Formats: sequence, structure tokens, C-alpha cells
Amino acid sequence: MIVAALLYLLASVDATLLGYSAASGRNALIRKGAYYRRAMGWGWLLGQGAILISGALGAAILAHSADRDALWSDVQRTGTRMLWVYLPFALVIATAFAFRAIPHVDIRSMTSTIIFGPLTFVRPLVGAAGLAFGIAAAPRAEIIGMGTLVLAMMLSLEYVLGGLFRRRPP
Amino acid sequence: VEPLEVSDEILSFDPVTLERRPVRKEEVIEKLRAAGDRRGAAIVRALPEREGFLDPDAVDRRLIAIHCEMQRISEEFQHGQRVAELLRPLLATFRDHRVAGPLRVVDVGCGTGYVLRWLAAFGELGGDVELVGADYHPALVGEADRLAAMEHLPVRFLVGNAFRLAEPGTVFLTSGVIHHFRGPSLREFFVNHERPTTQGFVHFDFLPSFMAPLGSWLFHVIRMRDPLAHHDGVVSAIRAHPQEVLLSASREGAPGFARSILGARLGPLPIPRAFHALVGIRPAFRETLEGRLGARRTRLGGWQ
Repeated sequence: MIVAALLYLLASVDATLLGYSAASGRNALIRKGAYYRRAMGWGWLLGQGAILISGALGAAILAHSADRDALWSDVQRTGTRMLWVYLPFALVIATAFAFRAIPHVDIRSMTSTIIFGPLTFVRPLVGAAGLAFGIAAAPRAEIIGMGTLVLAMMLSLEYVLGGLFRRRPP
Repeated sequence: VEPLEVSDEILSFDPVTLERRPVRKEEVIEKLRAAGDRRGAAIVRALPEREGFLDPDAVDRRLIAIHCEMQRISEEFQHGQRVAELLRPLLATFRDHRVAGPLRVVDVGCGTGYVLRWLAAFGELGGDVELVGADYHPALVGEADRLAAMEHLPVRFLVGNAFRLAEPGTVFLTSGVIHHFRGPSLREFFVNHERPTTQGFVHFDFLPSFMAPLGSWLFHVIRMRDPLAHHDGVVSAIRAHPQEVLLSASREGAPGFARSILGARLGPLPIPRAFHALVGIRPAFRETLEGRLGARRTRLGGWQ
């Protein structure tokens, strides 16, 4: 269950930050803390929707599986290996946020040029790499299908959120 | 052939009357093609037209949206804070030397006025400071005004030539504008600073380095949604003037100022910054400014 909880936590944080990212560059006001909080709330909410769909589908597949215990064990193995990829990625992001908290223009800018920018660029690749690495441990059709669906939902979330925040003059 | 920015080509204003001139779409496409810029040409081809001329309303809407995206990059790179950290000691220097107030900071080519609006909201520059933005483009100035009014920010935006304002600037400021002046017009730009009321200037722009085009491309791919913004952002980094060019043009155009480049390198690290600034000040104020900058004076590259 720890694996599932960690994946849930990472997916929720990812979706919340996507809300921020999708809302950026669409509102030219200066003071927009509330705007970004609302955007992150939407990200979290849509992320929960994606997680809920994935969870329900996973539970249904598990319930109808002939070898439920073996499938659950493979899911756990896949999830654990996915965390080997996702947790270091999340750790680097968290470290960048820690540096971003230092009130120094150059340090904050550097977190963007060195970490946030490049890692945003590779995020889809990291998502796919984590899934591929996980699936390699237990390449079953159910897990491949489920994993691909979850990844597709998480990667398309930014576009869905972008549609929500499409630029309207504030 | 020097790369061109699409946003420079799709707009035209008479420099004297400031009247907007119609822009023939095919001419812009041909110019971009001749510069080897097929992507830029495709961006212009997709713009709406009216009888062969670019639709000015569509161009305005597009440019306002692009400025909103550009603001995102400025926010991420803490540009408002960066400008404030330089302006505060500069303005304090003027006060130390009893420069007559109000101290007017004029943003040349202010666009939608992000920097001045940020300074008005968080800059803490002092009650004797006036913030004035000027741009040739009425639509951008209108948007800047509208946004400032929404947040009740004490800043004014005017359509016009920043160097010909009825109330002249004490400091002239630009952000990402100076690379638009090429060849002799760069020197001319500095000639405009040479007036008795002007005490200093601060011009921020991309720092040209071997990493700048790649870094700019990466950032604009990630952050910009509009292909025009993406295109021009990358070209801007390529067109940014090296510091020797800035120093030389300002020395020739505005010899009454001492000048220096702020922030080419990140402390002792061999990491280039994303932005640098050309700083100019009357020579008599130089030592005071260095004192006011405190530890930050080590970021100056030496006075010329």
C-alpha cells in the first residue's frame, strides 16, 4: 500500500503543479496569488479525477482477474520500479523549490534555467521511462494497458487545464 | 543575413507622427524568406489580412497575448526584483546628490508595462519617484493602462517617443528592447540620453553567450504557447548585443555618462547569467552609486 500511496502523492503533486503551469502566461496582472491558488486547485481536482478513474479501472481489472494475487503482486512490483524513476525526479524538483525559497534573484533564476526549465522539458520522457521501467518487471497486458492509460491522462492534463485557463483578459 | 523578429516586421509606425502604417503581408513574408527564415514566413502567412495588408486588429490582439506570455518569463526570472535591486541604489544616489525631483523612471518601449507595474506594486522606490512607460504602440499602451488601473498602481503609460516627453526622464530603462536597435540606430538611441535632465540609464537585455540560443530555445519551447513568441524569443537571444558593442555605442552616443555592464557572470562561477544590464550614470555620481550598491558593486564590470 505504501507504493500506491507514494504514487498517489506524486500524481497529486504533479497535477497541482500542472495547474500552476497551465495558468501561467495567461494573466498579465501583477498580484495574482489567488489566481494561481485557484489554478492549482483545479489541477489538484482534475488530477484526483484521473486518479479516481485509474483506481476504479484498476480495481475492476483486479476483481475480474483469474489470478488476482499474482496480478496484485505484479502491480506492486511495477509500482515499486516506477518509484525508482519518479522519486529521484521529484527529489530534484523539491530541492529546486528549497533553493527557490532563498530570496536571491540569481539563485531563483538559476533554479529555472538549470532545473525547472529542463525538467519540465523532460517530464513526459520521465513519465514514459518510469512506466517502461516498471512494466519491464512484469510485462502483462493488464499492467501495460492500465499504465499507458494513467500516463496518457497525466500527460494530457496540462492541455485540459490549458483549455480551462485559455487566455481571457482579466 | 541577420535574423529578423517577426514582431518588428508586422508593425510599422511613422517615427515622427507615430501614425500606424499599413504593412503589406507579402512583403514581410518575402523579407523573412530572403533572410532564410521560413518558419517566420509561415507565421506571418498564417496572420489574418485585409486586402493584402496585415489586419491591424488581429496583430494587436496577438501582440497583447504574446506580451502576456513574455511576462511569464519575466516573472519566472524575477525581472521586476532584478530591476528594483538596481534602481533603488541608483535613485538613492540621485537623492544623495540632491538631483531635483520628482525622480522620473521612464521605461522606453514599455509594451504592456510589466516592469513598471511590478515596480509600482512591490518596488518600494520611494514617494518622490514617478514611473512612466512609453511605447509607440497604442494597443500595448492601452493594455498597460488597463492592467495598471485594475490594480490601482501608481504608474502612467503614454503613446509616444520616450525621449520627447513633456516631463523628461531622470533615468531611462529598457528590458529586452535594446537589441532592436541595430547599427547606427543603436548609437542614435544613446544620443537621446544626452540631455541635462537625464542622470542615468539602465538597459537590460539577454546576455549573449554560447549557451544563450540553446537556453532560449529550450525555455521558449517549454514556456511559450504562441509560435510567434517562441520564434522571436529565440531570435532575440541571437540578436542580443555583446557588451563591447553596448559599451562602445553608449560611449559614442552618450559621452557624458560613465558606463558599466552589470552582472555578466554569476559571482566566481563560470555560469553566464541570462540577463545583463548596461548601466550609465553621470561620472560625478559613480562613487556614490558604488557605495549604495554595497556588496553588489562587485557585479559591475568596471567603468568606462
